[in-house]
Amino acid sequence: MRQSTPIARAPMIPQLAARRFASVVFRSYALRRVLKAALTIYLVATLTFFIVRLMPGNPVDVYIHTLISQYGFTYDDAANQAAALFAFNPNEPLLVQYWAYLRALTRGDFGMSLVSPGTPVTSVIMTYLPWTLFSAGLGLLISFLLGIMLGMVMAYQREGVLDHILTAAGSFFQSIPNYLVAIVIVVFFGVQLGWLPITEMRGAYSPGMQPGLNLAFVKDALYHAALPILTYVLTTIGAWMLLMKSSTLSTLEEDYVTVARARGLRDGRIMRSYVGRNAVLPLFTQMAISAGFVVGGSVVIEKIFVYQGIGFILLDAINRRDYPVMQGIFLIITFAVVAANLLADLLYSRLDPRIRVSGGE
Amino acid sequence: MAQTVRPGQLELAPPGLGQRLATAVKVFFRLLAHSKAGFLGFLGVLFFVVLALAGPIIVPDAGRPDMTKIYQPPSLEHPLGTDYEGRDVLKQMLRGGRAIIVVAVLAATLSTLISITFGALAAYAGGWLDSIIMMLTDVVLTIPQFPLLVVLSAFVKLDRPWLLATLIALLSWPTLLRAVRAQVLSLKEREYVEAARALDLGTTRILFGEILPNMASYIVMSFTIGMTAAIYAQVALYFLGLAPLAGENWGIMLNLAWVRGAIFYKDSLMYILAPVLAISLLQLAMVTMSRSLEDVFNPRLRES
Amino acid sequence: MAAWQRSSASNGAPVPVLSVRNLEVRYFTRAGTVQAVRDVSFDLHASESIALIGESGCGKTTLGLALLRLLPKGARIVDGEIRYRRRDGQVIDVLQLDEEEIRRFRWQECAMVFQGALNALNPVLRVWDQMLDTARAHAALSRDEVRERSERLLRMVQLEPERVLNAYPHELSGGMRQRVMIAMSLLLDPQIIIYDEPTTALDILTQRAIIEVLRALREQLDFSMLFISHDLPLAAELADRVATMYAGKIIEVGDVREIFYNPRHPYTLGLIKAVPPIVGELYDISSIPGTPPNLIEPPAGCSFHPRCPYARERCARETPPLYEVGSLHTSACHYWREVKLERQVVETGD
Ligand SMILES: Nc1ncnc2c1ncn2[C@@H]1O[C@H](COP(=O)(O)OP(=O)(O)O)[C@@H](O)[C@H]1O
Ligand code: SF4
Ligand SMILES: [Mg+2]
Repeated sequence: MRQSTPIARAPMIPQLAARRFASVVFRSYALRRVLKAALTIYLVATLTFFIVRLMPGNPVDVYIHTLISQYGFTYDDAANQAAALFAFNPNEPLLVQYWAYLRALTRGDFGMSLVSPGTPVTSVIMTYLPWTLFSAGLGLLISFLLGIMLGMVMAYQREGVLDHILTAAGSFFQSIPNYLVAIVIVVFFGVQLGWLPITEMRGAYSPGMQPGLNLAFVKDALYHAALPILTYVLTTIGAWMLLMKSSTLSTLEEDYVTVARARGLRDGRIMRSYVGRNAVLPLFTQMAISAGFVVGGSVVIEKIFVYQGIGFILLDAINRRDYPVMQGIFLIITFAVVAANLLADLLYSRLDPRIRVSGGE
Repeated sequence: MAQTVRPGQLELAPPGLGQRLATAVKVFFRLLAHSKAGFLGFLGVLFFVVLALAGPIIVPDAGRPDMTKIYQPPSLEHPLGTDYEGRDVLKQMLRGGRAIIVVAVLAATLSTLISITFGALAAYAGGWLDSIIMMLTDVVLTIPQFPLLVVLSAFVKLDRPWLLATLIALLSWPTLLRAVRAQVLSLKEREYVEAARALDLGTTRILFGEILPNMASYIVMSFTIGMTAAIYAQVALYFLGLAPLAGENWGIMLNLAWVRGAIFYKDSLMYILAPVLAISLLQLAMVTMSRSLEDVFNPRLRES
Repeated sequence: MAAWQRSSASNGAPVPVLSVRNLEVRYFTRAGTVQAVRDVSFDLHASESIALIGESGCGKTTLGLALLRLLPKGARIVDGEIRYRRRDGQVIDVLQLDEEEIRRFRWQECAMVFQGALNALNPVLRVWDQMLDTARAHAALSRDEVRERSERLLRMVQLEPERVLNAYPHELSGGMRQRVMIAMSLLLDPQIIIYDEPTTALDILTQRAIIEVLRALREQLDFSMLFISHDLPLAAELADRVATMYAGKIIEVGDVREIFYNPRHPYTLGLIKAVPPIVGELYDISSIPGTPPNLIEPPAGCSFHPRCPYARERCARETPPLYEVGSLHTSACHYWREVKLERQVVETGD
């Protein structure tokens, strides 16, 4: 159990040093997580590459074929054109293409849009991604914070009226698909009752607004993101509440909480630093699932509210068969989820000293 | 199976399959009776399954378009009104559950199979195999499922139930796998498995003869969770028009109601509301049922 | 020694630090009402050490928790009095304190180190932060003062302050954690410290070390101690007086020697006989035949009668009061005169 000082007394034979290095890497929680994140991204990039190249009716061949048959290109010209758009040369062996694709990715080069010539995929991503990160991230954060607070209240007032109401509401919204909640918001509060100016709230910000970091713009952006955020919060808060409640209930049983009360600590201090901080730890492992779910759901939610984020543009690209854009967006979405995950893991390891050195789930 | 009876084997032998099944069924109902919500959920699921089976038989066809009857309000003749081409909404509702539920069952079966096979394998084998399976699980868990499905829809025409089900299943096994692995890990330590191992019965027999039968209720739970995931993805694909809009199902109704302006008129409100309600209730029923099962099977949750 | 002088004085005797009268604690559970503490009365004097002895489940921990009003939900003090004499001589009724007053009472006046408390420290805070937390909740001590006090106390319990204060609990061994708790119990200089089986979860060597630490602390510092244990010889090393508890009641109280050489209750006698001749070795308390009583329906009359070799018909009918059986020695047995320890049996071994 006890960590003795890891200062080596044995002479440093290179082989031994290498093994020790490997073991340090393996033992360091943070390093392991970073490696895992990198591995995930690599695997997803690979998967995307092979989907695009090997699927029946793969876009490169389709594109080359179209150029030849409709515009009378020669095969070489068509192939060159395709190479520029898809960031790889279709005439090279697959593995070489794969290598070139990976190298382009590391440079942040996702190729060019098929449908809007001259537009790099990167610039499409840069234009729309911030809005999804903003709305989904804010939704996730609000939901998490509110959820753990309500979950603690529910645990502290177990079997109380509030506990019963929140449990019922939480399970209800948690089971209903988020896009149905969004549809109901639009149909009832937007169209039928007319309480919400649904059309005015469309888009990521009002036309004519100059994007910038000033209060007016932030307020406008929040106004436009309000309904997506509301949907994300409504449909994910239940899980956080219920998880936090059960985690808090079991933490309240821990010896150190009784001892803290015996030590005469104030209730607020016990609730925050003794119960809350320990009860929240197991929730971080759920962050992955929740982030993936919210970002994944954003594709439908953004469509319903006509919120121009990356999900909205992904659908647009699919409808227009703009393969490089699709591919780039999918990669960036995965990247965002992996990054959110990594962030949650690292935060977790900051909050739980037991994880920091020894690791383990 | 020709086996020499060794001393002590008779006492160690687990109860027979029939007996065990009977016990499982009894336990299942006792559990549901234990929680009113869980039992209601179970009834709800049962209702939808019956609907899926019987609906298209009760209503052999959804009727012809009739341009004189577009978006009529609910009436005795059309209790839920009519759609954008004058067809009865109730008939479509009764017929439209089957496709969704069939795909969900297929997908859940497949993903349960994957998660149970590999989850049990990981837990049972341990070591590097376990590490590899868990690593892969972590990776797939991180990939945003729905966007991937959306991207795939651009390459594959999702016009066959089994294709849709396979794609959904291939993306939705990781959560279940983790749960199964944890469950098997704890079952593995139990007495009768230890005893079976002492008798050297072989991994396959231990796995299929001892461990899996003891997970029956747990499998039911995984299965329902798998179904909710499949319904979520499927309906969304139809709603977005990424799966072909052929035939009748609740997802297609949702799409058409949205696209054809049903949401703007009071008279046609049921056209969008009916599928919304049906899908919500189905999901709610399944989640409630699986949660009350989980309360009982997950000892950590049960304590609280 | 000092204890009987104080309590024997009739007038002008020092008022006890803690005086418990007719305490009744119950757990209200689905299975029924558990009468965990029944009609318990005792006095704890300044600088005195009482060992509370009894089988597991007889209500020792419940009694300790009740003194701090730390009982879990579902438990209630249904009757009795807990009087506490503050340093300024004022006597207060612990059961009448309001929430804030009881919070201040805890640890500053009366600290408690828990049974098997390997999990007594918050895993996400360093030992130093938890020391500081404890001090901040009460006294207006400066950071430096807390630091200085903590370091001194940690050294007294044989720990290296610099290393331990910066450590997280999981970086310390079980014995070290228990020492940290002991040091922390002294941080605010309370008049009373309850040690609830402080060595139970530890290995034999660590147990010894903890007992030595406690003994040394008693010599250097001035505090009263309620030492809860199921281990009679261990308790004897630290106690001035011994109180035996059975089925929620205190059934015998006396000076430690008196109890050891002249027990007057069959249950205490059984406990002593269970002790192997060489003090300190493992022994098994369950060697008293029979099973511990059910506290939902404790046996009528003398609760010990189903297991008692001296029991007669009267025992099942009539609850024995605490008889004066010697100087400062009381026993709740109708036939205490007949109870005699055959010393030579123990000493010759076989
Ligand atoms: N939280 C509780 N709820 C119900 N009964 C309890 C609880 N804690 C203890 N008890 C019961 O109270 C009695 C006394 O327990 P305890 O004070 O822990 O005994 P000891 O410390 O002597 O081992 C036991 O019979 C035990 O079963
Ligand atoms: S009163 Fe009777 S039963 Fe109780 S201890 Fe004395 S002899 Fe035994
Ligand atoms: Mg105890």
